Amino acid sequence: MTTRTAPFSPNALPTLFAACVLIALWQALASATADMFVFAGPLAVLGAIAEEGSLLLRSSGITLQSAAIGFFIGNVAAILLAGIALALPRLEQLVSGLALVFFCLPFVATGPILRVIFGVGDGPQITLAALATYYTTYLCLLVGLRATPGSWLDLVRSYGRGRLSELIHVRAMASLPYFIAGLQIGAPAAFLGAMVGEFTGAERGLGVLSIRAMRGLDVEMTWAIATTAAALSAAAFWLFGWLGRCLGAGPPPLLLASRQDGPSVGMTARTGSGLIYLILLILAVLGVWIGLIKGLNLSPFFAKGPQDVWAFLVSDPAAATNRAALFTAFWQTLSLTIPGYLVGLALGAGLAVLLVTQPRLASATLPIAIALRSIPIVTTAPLFVLALGRGAVGTITIVAVMIFFPTLAACLEGMRRTPRPVLDLFSTYAASPWQRLAHAQLPAMAPAFFASARMAVPSALLAATTAEWLATGTGMGSLMALTASTSNYNLLWSAIVVLAVTASLIYALVHILEQRVLHTFASEQLVQ
Amino acid sequence: MTMFKLSRRSFVGAGLGTLGLAAFSPRLLAQDSKDVALQLSWLHSVQFGGSYIAKSKGYWSEAGLNVALNPGGPNAPVDPAVVTGQALIGISAADYASASVEQGAPFKIIGVAMQKNPFVIASLPENPINTPADLVGKKIGMALANTPVLQALCTINNVDINGIEIVPTQYDAAPLVANQVDCLLCWQTDLPVAMAIQGIESVTMLMADHGYAVHSQTYIATEDSLANRRADLVAMMAGEVRGWNDFRADPKAAAALTLEMYPDQGLDLPTQELQAERQVPLMFSELTDANGFGWFTDETVAQNVETLALLGRSVTPDLWDRSILEEVHG
Repeated sequence: MTTRTAPFSPNALPTLFAACVLIALWQALASATADMFVFAGPLAVLGAIAEEGSLLLRSSGITLQSAAIGFFIGNVAAILLAGIALALPRLEQLVSGLALVFFCLPFVATGPILRVIFGVGDGPQITLAALATYYTTYLCLLVGLRATPGSWLDLVRSYGRGRLSELIHVRAMASLPYFIAGLQIGAPAAFLGAMVGEFTGAERGLGVLSIRAMRGLDVEMTWAIATTAAALSAAAFWLFGWLGRCLGAGPPPLLLASRQDGPSVGMTARTGSGLIYLILLILAVLGVWIGLIKGLNLSPFFAKGPQDVWAFLVSDPAAATNRAALFTAFWQTLSLTIPGYLVGLALGAGLAVLLVTQPRLASATLPIAIALRSIPIVTTAPLFVLALGRGAVGTITIVAVMIFFPTLAACLEGMRRTPRPVLDLFSTYAASPWQRLAHAQLPAMAPAFFASARMAVPSALLAATTAEWLATGTGMGSLMALTASTSNYNLLWSAIVVLAVTASLIYALVHILEQRVLHTFASEQLVQ
Repeated sequence: MTMFKLSRRSFVGAGLGTLGLAAFSPRLLAQDSKDVALQLSWLHSVQFGGSYIAKSKGYWSEAGLNVALNPGGPNAPVDPAVVTGQALIGISAADYASASVEQGAPFKIIGVAMQKNPFVIASLPENPINTPADLVGKKIGMALANTPVLQALCTINNVDINGIEIVPTQYDAAPLVANQVDCLLCWQTDLPVAMAIQGIESVTMLMADHGYAVHSQTYIATEDSLANRRADLVAMMAGEVRGWNDFRADPKAAAALTLEMYPDQGLDLPTQELQAERQVPLMFSELTDANGFGWFTDETVAQNVETLALLGRSVTPDLWDRSILEEVHG
């Protein structure tokens, strides 16, 4: 086995075949459900695109512009944050924690708040696009910056060069493929963020068009918009992939890091430092929260501080009623998010394994996966629910679709990073593909899988609340959207707090699991 | 292109003409045109046609106001924009405004565009809902958030709400068309219009005809503006009144104007024309014929307070302030 079959390699025939099958399936589905006003077939969509071409083009341009600016800002922020984390390892936990909390803020709730802050214009669209992007890139960068062979770092040091050279010559180069993967995952997210931003009151854009089309029972237009958005996101995905290949990600180096058993830190000491970190993080979040409200001089009518949320949930006479309302909705949301999350992760990782063991299948299936993922959830959520019913299945499917693709992309990238010498060794011993998978590729995939499992936590909550808001009218999503009619901003801010804390907790849980596994399989990723 | 090219003479003439006009309008001489904003409650559509007419025909600029029409959306806040002063006036509704007031917003309703609440129960002709009693045993598709609305309708008409199955749906006619529900709670002017344009006839029961009295598309302003920016408020509302009177005279022209002013909204003319036509009877009544657009009386306010109480909103008639309208129509 001399050439590595990369799943992203251009192989036109199977892709073409897959596309034909997909389009045929789509048309059949549309024809079968013609009287349901749910699906429009590819022919009808082409017709709508042809008819409204210039309108779609103008609107795409507007949304794309907000998405691109936000994407850029988000990625610059990610690079800065990763730089800080790497340069000041003591601060890394805190930086990561803060970055995570802000990434976990639910769009449904932050959108209107951003609109009030920015006023008319594209401020909320850009901000949401940036918020949707920065964290995934940051995480990918962190993984990449650490995926460096110790011998290279030794080499830099033996030349008497410092951390800066180490960063530029070794770590930055090593992180490039991961950075590209982060960009690829972030592109559709930025587009989605821009569209959700338009829901808070915009003059024009694809988001505006999609609301109009959905309410107007204009199924062709809804699907034409979804197709356009998907095409744009997919194009961005390929563009960054191509860029990555141009920048030449060479064969990955063999990483042999020693297991960091080291002097084992006592359990109590570890819990102690964890507690201190937690307190620091909470203080930092509260500081940023209060600082933003005071610094931007926001009106107390809608900008609620920590003390308001505390009163609403704890000290107020009506607190028990408030909590009951909030947590009923919360459990409703969580009971749909977690199954969707697990299904999405399993599908993503499972498909990645399948694609790596069956490379021919890979080039056929991947475009379908990308297309599916790139259709923005705001247009698909109502359609999914209409097609799959208002029960749990619809929402769970939406959550799973939302996160399965980033997982797939990350896992594939991780497995491609399996060091060539290791694979050569397996070939030499005529190991079966399954042995190679179990002992070489899966361990290589583990860091990427866990990184995406962590990133998927907020995405899953985002998908569930969006589906609830736009389609099923239940749970936290609907409760938060209600604020528009009730002006109950205490409830809205409390919902934000509950969702952000939940996402952070689940994230931490995944992280603990990850540390255990990586301890064995990829200990270069562990820095203590 | 040459069509719009002004010769120097006509340019000067137009300029002098404007100056001449200005001489009759003391406000314009006193100050440059002032930027104010009207926060709409939804995306641009003929729903706000009267405001577009006021803007395009210069009813506001004559009075020295440069009015921005800020669009709303499904996740767009109206009340905070007014509270923070981003918008001088917002388009809200009596139930939303009273909720905001309970949360401490210093609001008044200074005019009522929709005299009749636009909520309807829409159904298909083969399975029609003509009276509230017909709802029993039916599946209704609606946002759960609107449960109090249905509850109020049931209470007013002595219908047991437990006999109705509520199916949470998104705001779109597809569940009704796909027979997932028997009826929908929606606005007279959107989903039934969308269905009609798609060739699907529907039966609508206007809730306002069955005792549900909640002013909709109301103009809200803060107490601070009412005290300190009266002239601007009067000028804004005067423009609105003129715009909506023009709208009533020619709803089709308003539809065409909407498309012309907002070409990127994905609107189509037949839908906008039908929507405009169906909107007129909700906005104009004997009351407005007698007193002018936007009017309300102690009696209609009392009916509102009563219905709002059923919605769980405790408000007093103080929420309504007619002084601006009285100056406009006086």
